[in-house]
Amino acid sequence: MRFLTITLLLLTIKMMGQEEDVPLDSIQELEEVEVTATIKKKIETAMKMNVSVDEFLASSDDISFIKRGAYAWEPLLNNMGMERSTITIDGMHIFGACTDKMDPVTSYVESNNLASVNITSGQEGSSHGATIAGNVDLKSKSTPFSMQSNWTGSYQTGFELNNKQFYNQGDIAYSSRNFVAEGSISYRSAENYSDGNDQEVDHSQYKKFNTSIGLAYKTSDLSSLRVDAIFDVAKDVGYPALPMDLWLSRAIITSATYKQFFQEGMVKAWDTKVYYNAIEHYMDDTTRPENLVHMDMPGWSTTYGLLTKLHLSKNRFNSEIQLNAYDNLSIAEMRMYPQDRSERTMFAYSWPWVTTQYAGFSMNNSLEVSEEGELNFGGSLGVNYNHSKYVDFNWIFYPGAPQEKTRWLPSLYTGYKQQVNQFDFSIGIGYGHRAPSVSEGYGYYIYNSFDRYDYIGNPDLKNEVSYELNASAGYSNEKFSLGVNVNYFYIQDYIIGRILSLGSPMNYQSVGVKGYTSLDYATLFNFSLNSSYAITHDLHWNGTLAYARGLDDDKGNLPFIRPLSYQTSLHYQSGAFGFQTTLNGDLEQEHYSPEYGEDLTPAYTILNLSADYTFKLNNYKTVLQVGAENVLNQYYSTYADWGNIPRMGRNFFASLQINF
Amino acid sequence: MKVFNLVITVIFITGMMSCTLDKTDYEAELSAVVTDEHEFEEAASFNSNGYQINLEALNGTLFKGYNELRFNITETASNQAVQNAEITFLPIRRDADEEAYSCPHGYEVTYDSTNDYYSSYAVFDYETATDASWEYYFSITIDDETFTVLQEITVEPQPNMNLNMTAFTGNDGEQYYIALIAPKSPSVAENELIAGIYKYDRPEAEIGSFPDPSQFSYSEVQNATLFLDPRMPEPSMGNHSSPNNQDLTQGDDGLYYGVVNYTMTGNWTLNFILQSSNGDVIKGTEVPTDFTPGVEGERGELHIDILF
Repeated sequence: MRFLTITLLLLTIKMMGQEEDVPLDSIQELEEVEVTATIKKKIETAMKMNVSVDEFLASSDDISFIKRGAYAWEPLLNNMGMERSTITIDGMHIFGACTDKMDPVTSYVESNNLASVNITSGQEGSSHGATIAGNVDLKSKSTPFSMQSNWTGSYQTGFELNNKQFYNQGDIAYSSRNFVAEGSISYRSAENYSDGNDQEVDHSQYKKFNTSIGLAYKTSDLSSLRVDAIFDVAKDVGYPALPMDLWLSRAIITSATYKQFFQEGMVKAWDTKVYYNAIEHYMDDTTRPENLVHMDMPGWSTTYGLLTKLHLSKNRFNSEIQLNAYDNLSIAEMRMYPQDRSERTMFAYSWPWVTTQYAGFSMNNSLEVSEEGELNFGGSLGVNYNHSKYVDFNWIFYPGAPQEKTRWLPSLYTGYKQQVNQFDFSIGIGYGHRAPSVSEGYGYYIYNSFDRYDYIGNPDLKNEVSYELNASAGYSNEKFSLGVNVNYFYIQDYIIGRILSLGSPMNYQSVGVKGYTSLDYATLFNFSLNSSYAITHDLHWNGTLAYARGLDDDKGNLPFIRPLSYQTSLHYQSGAFGFQTTLNGDLEQEHYSPEYGEDLTPAYTILNLSADYTFKLNNYKTVLQVGAENVLNQYYSTYADWGNIPRMGRNFFASLQINF
Repeated sequence: MKVFNLVITVIFITGMMSCTLDKTDYEAELSAVVTDEHEFEEAASFNSNGYQINLEALNGTLFKGYNELRFNITETASNQAVQNAEITFLPIRRDADEEAYSCPHGYEVTYDSTNDYYSSYAVFDYETATDASWEYYFSITIDDETFTVLQEITVEPQPNMNLNMTAFTGNDGEQYYIALIAPKSPSVAENELIAGIYKYDRPEAEIGSFPDPSQFSYSEVQNATLFLDPRMPEPSMGNHSSPNNQDLTQGDDGLYYGVVNYTMTGNWTLNFILQSSNGDVIKGTEVPTDFTPGVEGERGELHIDILF
């Protein structure tokens, strides 16, 4: 299979090389430059104009969340967790420093330093690194150069009553012919929230500070250099579903990017980025006096990387070739304190200094076969290297396991889109490998409070291999649209924790030890239906229905698979006033997995309302929004709420946004 | 001003990049309780009959537990090392009533020609105290000439719990000794566990003139099996154990070899069951395997506590 991949990749390069002598079309090329410079989307949902990154992602059909509290939700893409997807910021790889997944990458950014989020499902997302589920790329704000010097900015403030969340966010940008400077700053603080029974959920508070700065300089008419930095601090964050909270997490995310556009030739743009990010994460259990054992669990994750990308375009053919390399060092420690504190503490690594190095070469191509038909194809070949410095820890469960491991990770996909009058159809297939994550490969007694097992990584795990099918069909006219999306994954050597007969738990809440093992296969099916209808010019309706089913090789249920869920929303705009209401919910989770600590989650329905008013304040466009979430104050928890912690009850919110 | 700004920026960035809490120095963590320095140094030196006898032990000190001993004999006049001596040695402890006892030891001292020293061992079961004074009786024969030496020695308390020992009366009524020899400085890893298992040989002959070696004879227990079950006794660890341990069996050198996995640093109890070559349990009981958070782990009848 590997041989086939390389051959195909080489063939693709060859095919492209042969097209070089065809004359160029400079008009098309200029359009391309334009398009690249003006990617701008709003980070807001149908309901709320000022949202956290998590709330924003939650509004996507493809994303669901495992929630351990009010903060730092773990995104699931196509019902698959962080191991099976890649989450990047402008293509940069960042890895959380917490063994308990308290800090997904999305927790280190803030909505006011992001411009958009690109979600790519399945192997089409493999250009950002080996993946099964796909890629979530968080695009940070990037103000384009402008002919006249100008200043822009915005300020948002808001309050949410249920958890007394208060936030202030500001961003400002200066742009001129050859220089851009922009920055953002944000601070949120929230106290404990209350559930639908008006009971306070202890340890659900948080405080988050985030700031970013970006400087760009136009080095020539067609090239520019840009440096970016994001600094994020979260302090005193509660995780009601976990036995520990967070004392402090800090991330510094930096990059320098050089862009070069070309007026002639097939190569239209060349984009190179070097980056560095460092994350530190310190858990805290001193706020949990009920814990029998006091533990320190600090974690660190440092990543260096390089990203270089060529954009080629020729008549109806577009291609993006990318080289992606990074080096990550993940360290996590645990130190348990005996009841008699004068006694010796007990120390072990949960991540024994694990280095991951990855280098991947990928390409995405699209060919417009006709006015209506488009063929997309591409793939990548990556090499993934792991090294465990204190491999002694891994040898306790897997004696003689190699200290170093190199894996080849190929990926291929192709898809075809066809437009027939007002209908559009697409079909695609994909094939790809992924390497086990640091925890799956090298984790050591990582306590999972969901199924209450200590998890042990296995350095000898096989690559997980995905075979994927996807299809979509849609219809749209001026007033009505309807779309169906399905995908099916057959995942060979699916990695999951299975009870180990040897060893005994280390964490006092734990009931046993599970080792990451490969199932022969698992299958995952995702389905979504979207529809929109403009009832009148001012009144719009939107509806979504999603369903997923995940099975292991024994036809048992996989954990964290979303039951049938729905969302329906109405939006009414009358002059400066806007009203929106959404109703969303899940049906009963029939297909739960008791083996992984799940139980039957009942159905729930949540009603939300909001209204906004746009006006001029001293000539600045200002929007005021008020609303209520969970208006009926329903007590509920979803299928993916860790330990069935209840979600927030009725919540009133008000926010103000001023643009200048 | 520009330089000033730059300096401020650099300081700011360095401040942000440095960690809030330091990472643990793992090597220092492992040597926090047990030092990894184990050099053979001179423990005693004495002259007799024109010869100088040097005794070397780990760190130059004799401790309670297993002690590997190395001797060198030099002819004082010629300053020549003597390689063909026949040496026997007998450690004797006297209690407050001047009653004499010994401990497991290598009576016949053998010459190790590859390393150029005479080697033996002693498993001291008591440290020197007011009611326990130790002395060595050497009998040295060089070129058919035999002389004896009596040397008083001091046995220090064992500072390294990984070299602990236990003495007990077996179910067969015999006196047994188990002494840990390795790992001297364990780590969170698979550790090769080496122990010496000895037994007091009941004298059959009449008591001869003191010191009569037949009254103080010990031997290595042959072909026994030492079943191993390591546990963390700390209450918060809930009777935690480790996987993939190997019971100890006898190697060619007479010592017993097995594998112990320590999953984290701290206090561990090695629970043993000693089974004779014909399958009888000499000593030891099974420990419960229940996970009991908050309760101090139960120790078996036969166990040795270690700490690293």
